[in-house]
Amino acid sequence: MVPVPVAILRSPLSLPAAYRLLTDPESGGIALFAGRVRADARPGGRVHSLLYEADERLALAYFARISELARHRFGARRVVVWHRVGELPVGAISVVVGVAAPHREAAFAAARYLIDSLKKNAPIWKTDRVARSGRAGDVRPRTKPRGRRTTADAGSNSRRL
Amino acid sequence: MTGSVAVRLFAQARIAVGRASLSRPVGPDGLLLSELLSELSKEHPRLRAVLKSCRYVQNGEFVDRGDPLLVAGDEVAIHPPYSGG
Repeated sequence: MVPVPVAILRSPLSLPAAYRLLTDPESGGIALFAGRVRADARPGGRVHSLLYEADERLALAYFARISELARHRFGARRVVVWHRVGELPVGAISVVVGVAAPHREAAFAAARYLIDSLKKNAPIWKTDRVARSGRAGDVRPRTKPRGRRTTADAGSNSRRL
Repeated sequence: MTGSVAVRLFAQARIAVGRASLSRPVGPDGLLLSELLSELSKEHPRLRAVLKSCRYVQNGEFVDRGDPLLVAGDEVAIHPPYSGG
């Protein structure tokens, strides 16, 4: 894996690699968040994996934009935003955001901003793969209703992307 | 100019159509986005309900309003509600 600050990857996400990218002599705090595939219960069984897909060019442009905002708004010195795509088993890391900043407040706030923004606005999708009677197969969409978005969010983000 | 419009589909839209991309012939007068979506919905009835909550991207730019004209060489992406993370 080539360690670059923003990426959509098909291979496992490495926390040590993310940490190395964030290492900076003037940063006293590093906040590193990893999102993992959860074994949710479903009516037909239990989720055994999630299929992630992305509109990669737009997603990367969005990662770059929120990284820049994290620097300007929170004073982040280094930023990592990675998302994995493909079929991921329970326990696999699907997303990593990391921030190095002079102090912990900025590191936590910027990391929170990055993951919240990514989940809401990045063109990335997951669908459940549910094990039924020990057999894999069913695919269920796992997206939230668009109604939760505000008009302001939709407008501003769509124009910026 | 005649040619085709490329359509990329994700998540529920991909599942409803059964494929991640398709190509649509388009005549010299082009094709409205609404016409494209209507044709696809007729061919794939499960897509109709999905489209109600989708956003659309034409050549890398979100379609914010209106009903853009698609011409040969254009690419349209159909984005259901996002669920990354």
